[in-house]
Amino acid sequence: MKRRVNPTFFIFGVLGGFLFLDLVLPVASLFFGADWAGWMEALQQPAALQALMISIEASAISMVIMTLLGVPLGYLLARAPLPLKRFWICLVFLPMVVPDLAAGILLLKTFGPYGIIGQPLDAKNISLTNNLAGIILAQLFVGAPFVIVSALSGFASVDPKLELAAATLGDSRWHIFRRISLPLAWPGIAAGLTLAWIRAMGEFGSTLIVAYNPHSLPVYMWVKFESDGLNGALPAAFCLVVLAATAVMSSMLFSRITGFSDVVTPFGKAAMTERY
Amino acid sequence: MQKKIPINGGQKKAGSLLMVWCLAVPILVFGADEQRVSVLYAGSLATVMENGLGPAFTKATGYMFQGEAQGSLGGAQMIHDHLRSPDVFISADPLVNTNVLMGPKNGNLVKWFTIVASSQLVLAYNPHSRFAAKFQDAAASKIPWYEVLETPRVKFGRGDPSIDPKGYRTLFLFNLAGKYYHRADIPRLLGDPMNPAQVFPEVVLMARVESGQFDAGIFYKHEILAHHLPYIEFPPEINLSDPRFSDLYAQETYITPSGQRVTGAPILFTITVPETVRHWDAALAFVRFLLSSEDLLKEFGFGIVQHRTAGDPAKVPAEVRPLASGVFKP
Repeated sequence: MKRRVNPTFFIFGVLGGFLFLDLVLPVASLFFGADWAGWMEALQQPAALQALMISIEASAISMVIMTLLGVPLGYLLARAPLPLKRFWICLVFLPMVVPDLAAGILLLKTFGPYGIIGQPLDAKNISLTNNLAGIILAQLFVGAPFVIVSALSGFASVDPKLELAAATLGDSRWHIFRRISLPLAWPGIAAGLTLAWIRAMGEFGSTLIVAYNPHSLPVYMWVKFESDGLNGALPAAFCLVVLAATAVMSSMLFSRITGFSDVVTPFGKAAMTERY
Repeated sequence: MQKKIPINGGQKKAGSLLMVWCLAVPILVFGADEQRVSVLYAGSLATVMENGLGPAFTKATGYMFQGEAQGSLGGAQMIHDHLRSPDVFISADPLVNTNVLMGPKNGNLVKWFTIVASSQLVLAYNPHSRFAAKFQDAAASKIPWYEVLETPRVKFGRGDPSIDPKGYRTLFLFNLAGKYYHRADIPRLLGDPMNPAQVFPEVVLMARVESGQFDAGIFYKHEILAHHLPYIEFPPEINLSDPRFSDLYAQETYITPSGQRVTGAPILFTITVPETVRHWDAALAFVRFLLSSEDLLKEFGFGIVQHRTAGDPAKVPAEVRPLASGVFKP
């Protein structure tokens, strides 16, 4: 039997296809005429490996901090009877709209050696810029909103009746959080964490200002671009694309295994089901 | 069964607005102006170009000015890799032309260039630094500048020698100062050439000093005048400004992390019309304007030097020749 294409799907397909190409072609162009041998050699240089390690280390630490601090904040914003709640939520969104370079300057003014927080620490010889701490601060600034917002919407979408039922059975707030709210909100939080990780790994503009040294992978890429041109920068660009792709794949795999599919991935049950 | 929903007036209006938008946007997005010159210039010139020379050029000639700041080396690499096709390229180091853009191995993208002006390195400081009084004393020659930098907890920054000519010129400056003042410990103030506590990209360093997160930094004089920061001048024997001391400067060398050997030389800005030019008349007008704006250049902190040309003399445009004289050998 010949299947007819639904005209709405067809038109949407054409419209969406243009945007899809716009997103995919630049990444694909990385692989046209790729000099694999040269790239592998370039990526094995000590400076490149060091930049890669710095990026992985910093983003791993950022992720732990974002999870430990971001999830509770998201929960508070979703459930606690806070005054001016919408205002606080707006503030959490702000870093997402601050341009990277501006973010770097603001971070520097706060955590730099003569900054509000940086100065007292500097007096004790603790520096928060131009080291791993600086990279992490920049990553937190751009990445954490994704975690907070996903946690907030994850917790907010948990049916309050479930929590109420547990409360009437005498469960404490902590128990309700741990046994009901968190497991139900987790798929959304996991998606937020994946996005935050990718955003943190790729963070360039504010890192450049807050922590030029030690070079993280995006900063290293820029330095190579400035000194050696396109051929210098492409291996690092390739590495970043592979890392991001790995993150998305593992997130999809994770949600497939755990069954939390509808939020994170198009591969899972919910999305595969043809609704009509 | 699908039912056709009648389109109401509001939707019709929205539809026609969408049509207008679809027609108007391509003109806005892809429209080009023939009456403009696109100039790719050394990053340190940003303020001078955008607030000074660019507007002055437009006023004098009527051509629009469209500038882009990039590191000299980075900008040249972009032209070399066909990522940029400017009408005019201004570099902070003559060598960038010869190494990256000239000759058959570089696709002969640049065939000639002319020296525009010179600049000098200065020590700029933040007027609100807690060491500002000491810097002021040094500026008034009451104490030597290097003693201020030796003060514990003074934070000063400099350019990155791996990507920025100013970065390795700063290394030369401190080496020359060591010899000039007979103080071997002056170069040691820098630590390793790539000392992570001091080395930053141009724009970041300026942001650090201006925002008060660094007490001082080594900059070009024209950058500092544009940013209105107080500064301390160095003697011409060490500040890399004066072609008369070329031989002295040339005693200093540095090998960049990518293996390129650079030698001390006067800080000279060069201008050229690369083969990527699309607005020939505007490009020539801009080169002529810059080569005949000595007063303006002086006002912005540049040194006036002879406009010598390098490369193939036959390729120097006839319109530029009357403003240039002498041969420059990089």
